[in-house]
Amino acid sequence: MFRLTGDPAEKHFLTQVIRESGQNLLECLQCGKCSGGCPVASKETGGPRKLVAEILSGMKIQAMSNPLWWYCVSCGTCMTRCPVEINMYAVATVLCEMAEKEDIKPGEPDIHLFEKLFLKSVEKYGRVKELRTVATYNLLTMQPWKDLDKGLVLMLRGAVSPLEVFTGWKKNPTISRIFARAKVPGHGE
Amino acid sequence: MKVSYYPGCSLEGTAGSYDASVRHVCRTLGVDLHETPEWACCGSSPALKMNRLLSASLAAQNLRMVEQQGRSDVVAPCPFCFRRLKSAQDEMKNDPVFKAKVEEVIEAPVRGDVNVHNLLGFIHGEVGIGAVAERVKKPLSGLRLIPYYGCYVVKPANVTRFDDPENPTSLDDLLRGVGAEVLDWDLKTECCGAGLSLSKTDMVSDLCGRITREAEYQQADAIVVVCQLCQANLDMRQGGIQRLDKRTTQIPIVYFTQVLGLAFGISPKELGLDRHIVAPLRVLKQKGFA
Repeated sequence: MFRLTGDPAEKHFLTQVIRESGQNLLECLQCGKCSGGCPVASKETGGPRKLVAEILSGMKIQAMSNPLWWYCVSCGTCMTRCPVEINMYAVATVLCEMAEKEDIKPGEPDIHLFEKLFLKSVEKYGRVKELRTVATYNLLTMQPWKDLDKGLVLMLRGAVSPLEVFTGWKKNPTISRIFARAKVPGHGE
Repeated sequence: MKVSYYPGCSLEGTAGSYDASVRHVCRTLGVDLHETPEWACCGSSPALKMNRLLSASLAAQNLRMVEQQGRSDVVAPCPFCFRRLKSAQDEMKNDPVFKAKVEEVIEAPVRGDVNVHNLLGFIHGEVGIGAVAERVKKPLSGLRLIPYYGCYVVKPANVTRFDDPENPTSLDDLLRGVGAEVLDWDLKTECCGAGLSLSKTDMVSDLCGRITREAEYQQADAIVVVCQLCQANLDMRQGGIQRLDKRTTQIPIVYFTQVLGLAFGISPKELGLDRHIVAPLRVLKQKGFA
């Protein structure tokens, strides 16, 4: 199953992932320790072992539409347990960068939306404004009341302040500039 | 001991009680925290996933500020900030071409040689358990605590180079050092679901449920954490888990700095122990610690 058919496109995908992630997937033993420990492995995502198998087989379309790397929280468990120390969150980054470059729609739009809003806040203000990011996410995903009960408890206990909405609107041009310069031309929005 | 202090975004937001307790505990321990000037977000997991260069550049920008501040050591209470700063130094050291790219993005040179500590490692390794034990005014004897490290502070091992990734013991040592009864379990470094809390809430509730159920089974008085994301997830998702399990109890989730502060005789209010969703004060009062 893991042998390439000879189509140069397959080989190209595999070498690109290996080169850009710095992870030699050819060493993968398919032992499955990564999937055993992966917190986001499920029936739906399959786990890292399956994703590596897809990449090794040059199955680019399957690998790119595999939801696993969207779910990846970069906990590092797979790498810690992997007998050949393959770092799967480095692989996730490469696939994410590829998807953005090639305009492939995110397989998990909710996860992608949250991460985008998070970075937008950092890009503008230099720091993530948690309450605003959460509120925007809940509004855009049409669930404005989600977690409001917990938010209110936290406000009553003084853990978060509703006044936060009025502060911290100062822009941070230094960080915005770093964002602009880190975006490869033709990359990103 | 003077160090640069990199609090990170959450500590000036929803994790204010972590920040407050860190500052109190460090003052007691004689650690002089100097906030990193103009610190910015490390980019956290979204930057790490979406753009490797951006992620390293944000970390490098903060490292540069520490270097300019003239400090040789930086302490981060947030495990993800810690891991990103530390990893970015490695990434640049191992790949000079990448380092040049990062410096081009931030438009400044970065030496990349400051010592990056997570707060737990710093208190355990640099301050030392002896010094912590010396400051104890109210030993927490009889308080059953279960230490939860989460992922980012120890994993992956070749990035964090801190403690044991599967069975760390530094937090156990500290809690024992302030007189608490420390419980052992298998879930010390199992993931809480981290940044998926909003987008994949059910999955996070599942992962958190595994952790809180086991802690309750062991009859712990509280789960002690070192990460504000673990705290938020375990604290926020417990109501849902409890309804699912038809249970009547919930377990408080407290920062290790709140526990140390309590033993140092700092008031629960100053440590922010009244600001969590699952209130820790009830059990603390019952056992005579608040």
